[in-house]
Amino acid sequence: MLKCLLTIAFGVVVALAVPHPASAADADYFRGKTITYIIATGPGGGYDTYGRMISRYMQKYLPGSRFVVRNIPGAGHIIGANMIDAARPNGLTIGMFNTGLIYNQLMDLEGVRFDLAEMSWIGKASNEIRVVLISSNSGFDSFDDMLRATEPVKFAAAGIGSAAYLDSRILDTIFPQIDIVTIAGFDGAEGELSMMRGELVAQVGIASSYDQFVKNGGGYFGLAMSHLAQELLPDIPLAADYVTDPESLQLLSLLEALSDLGRLTSGPPGIPADLLGVLREAHNQAVRDPELLAEAMRLNIPIDVGSGEFVERRIKEALDQPPEMIALLKRAASSK
Amino acid sequence: MHIDVALGSLYTLLTTPYLVMLMFIAVPLGIFFGAMPGLGGKIGIVLLIPFIFGMDPIPGAVILLAMHSVVHTGGSIPSILFGIPGDGTSTAVVIDGYEMTKKGEGGRALGASFGASGLGGVLGAVFLGLMLPVLEPVILAFSPAEFFLLAILGITFIATLSGKNIVKGLSLGLFGLMIAFVGLDPSTGGPRYTFGQLFLWDGVHIITAVLAMYALPEMIGLGSTKNVTMKMGKSTRYKVSEVWQGIGDVFRHWKLSIRTSLIGAVIGLVPGLGGDAASWICYGHAVQSSKTPERFGKGAVEGVIAPETANNSKEGGALLPTLFFAVPGSSGMALLLGAFLMLGIQPGPTIVTENLDFVWTLIWTLAVANLLCVVILIGLTPWLGSLANLRPSLLIPFVLTFALLGCYLASGAWQNVGLIFFLACLGYMLKRHNWPRPPFVIGVVLGPVAEDSLHKALAIWGPSFFLRPLSLVLIGLIVGSIALYVWRSRKTGNFEVPDA
Repeated sequence: MLKCLLTIAFGVVVALAVPHPASAADADYFRGKTITYIIATGPGGGYDTYGRMISRYMQKYLPGSRFVVRNIPGAGHIIGANMIDAARPNGLTIGMFNTGLIYNQLMDLEGVRFDLAEMSWIGKASNEIRVVLISSNSGFDSFDDMLRATEPVKFAAAGIGSAAYLDSRILDTIFPQIDIVTIAGFDGAEGELSMMRGELVAQVGIASSYDQFVKNGGGYFGLAMSHLAQELLPDIPLAADYVTDPESLQLLSLLEALSDLGRLTSGPPGIPADLLGVLREAHNQAVRDPELLAEAMRLNIPIDVGSGEFVERRIKEALDQPPEMIALLKRAASSK
Repeated sequence: MHIDVALGSLYTLLTTPYLVMLMFIAVPLGIFFGAMPGLGGKIGIVLLIPFIFGMDPIPGAVILLAMHSVVHTGGSIPSILFGIPGDGTSTAVVIDGYEMTKKGEGGRALGASFGASGLGGVLGAVFLGLMLPVLEPVILAFSPAEFFLLAILGITFIATLSGKNIVKGLSLGLFGLMIAFVGLDPSTGGPRYTFGQLFLWDGVHIITAVLAMYALPEMIGLGSTKNVTMKMGKSTRYKVSEVWQGIGDVFRHWKLSIRTSLIGAVIGLVPGLGGDAASWICYGHAVQSSKTPERFGKGAVEGVIAPETANNSKEGGALLPTLFFAVPGSSGMALLLGAFLMLGIQPGPTIVTENLDFVWTLIWTLAVANLLCVVILIGLTPWLGSLANLRPSLLIPFVLTFALLGCYLASGAWQNVGLIFFLACLGYMLKRHNWPRPPFVIGVVLGPVAEDSLHKALAIWGPSFFLRPLSLVLIGLIVGSIALYVWRSRKTGNFEVPDA
């Protein structure tokens, strides 16, 4: 009798210990569970704002779940991305990091332990339309004006190796007629302040980050690096209109892909397809939630929804670059 | 200046029960977030933001700013009582504040801290109001060239803080600079001294460095003494009279208080130098301008007053570029900027003409919140003394736990817990052999600013940046600072800043 009871008890324990595979319809898998949403920056700032907002609303569409946000900053988002990549693929650890890590992986930079092509992409919440912001103090009335510059043109950028820095170097490669000198180290809004002081002329970055600066008359959008800008910024010239050589077009296509991917949520590689489907659906519903959209409007942050499948496809396209392209990218990144 | 608008905003703030209630909620929250090592005001703002959805602009801005403006005051509590800085800007007050606690003057130190914070906060608000007409040229006058020279000026204080032990001080200052250069090289992007560790790419965090130099060595020293019933004070509770004595010290040293408040406000006004630098530069200034600098590091009350006035006054300065240029003056202001946008407030040059009453409401919120904070903390101080006077067998594990927690939370990397033990071994050896520790911390704080600014200045202007008018003024101050030290050394036959 005792043996029988012990056997039954053992069986119950084993049954409870083994994770139950969830069926496609089993959104209840997350009921009673805690999902850790990792944000690869410190508190505050764009990624933190988006990440906390998305996690709150995903919780709404995963009934019974509890989302806990963890900020894991460091090494330009690499530490947070590595942590997401290394997490158990049980759907209980997901997070957000800078799309610019695509550059890091393409160029095989130090510290990268993840493979973005293998990660479980859940969805995107925005786009990151790259633009050239030109200072009102620069003396240039337009980007065409800048093309005629006879002196080096100083651009601000964040740290060397950052996405903004690489975007600036790519711009220099695409437009050899401008001698762009990229000065790194201008984090946050320091670049805009430097432009107001007349020290620097321009910078490459995400259009939505500069809205307030442009509204206050500090600068204007001189060039857009992506066709996505046509709808939002119809009067801004497109880089593609100036470029014809194959190498430059290749670099532009990479920027185009990156512009399309903003505020991505992902999980580690290997999340079961049905679980991933549940997370994707929750993300999709969350980012389309009217309350979230109202909140985003109040925060003045853009929302551009994209499914996990879309993100996965675009990431793989962006990473699928021939060796010549990677060499070109490395050459662009290592120039002054 | 529109006096009617200014006074009208103050009247509205003080006579609207809802706004007063929000400040009474916000101030204790700010004290809490500041006092918990590793948390800080930024976490508080982030956690408050969801609750202010749907609020009108003024109440939402009042609760956020009131909370943020007193965070540094809260941060001084663990710094003074346990030698654990609540955040990066509360590191300078550890040197003399904790020494005062060990001497049994913790109540006075807290009083001086609260009074200095309150005065600094009020003067920062006054500075904000007075600067309205001349804002733009002042903010835009400071560039990376000036940041570099300001950092160098702060680094020259290493000599002052070394006192008689100039060789030791300079050695440690240079070692601090070397530690500061751990991380990614700003000119090449390559890692330096990171030993393949990703967590070191962002350098050694200031809280890790200060905890390793002060909190841990102090606890090691306390635990290794034979007499573990060390008396921390004459009584287990601080008397309110001690607190008032400290507050009185702020007004007795009124010239220093006003100077450091102004220095802090100016540093806050100019985005780029950083809040940590403000408190250390003012601490160094206090030592340098004192007629008896040998008292510093042994529990000089001026060593509490100077950094604490700067901590709070810089927030008034930092609000200026945030409101008028939508350029955050500090990392906390970056969050507030986002929150202001969410509340429907549009920062920019037109805010003065279109929303002057709102601007003045914020100015008064800074002032009133700081005063309210002082009142609340005066009432709490007697009970705070009970914590500091715990017997060592209880105090040591308590402080060590919070120190390690603060170290981890500050940077988010568990590896810092290992790093802090490594640096604490050095800190303990320095303490045992009476080497001055402030020069090391100054090197760690100002090194990154100096290098980053030098790199940018050279990239923008080349070596000619030294000839900019404001740069020449700062070079003059640097030369003057060194000359003053040399003159004093010769006149007094050297002084000593021991045990710091």
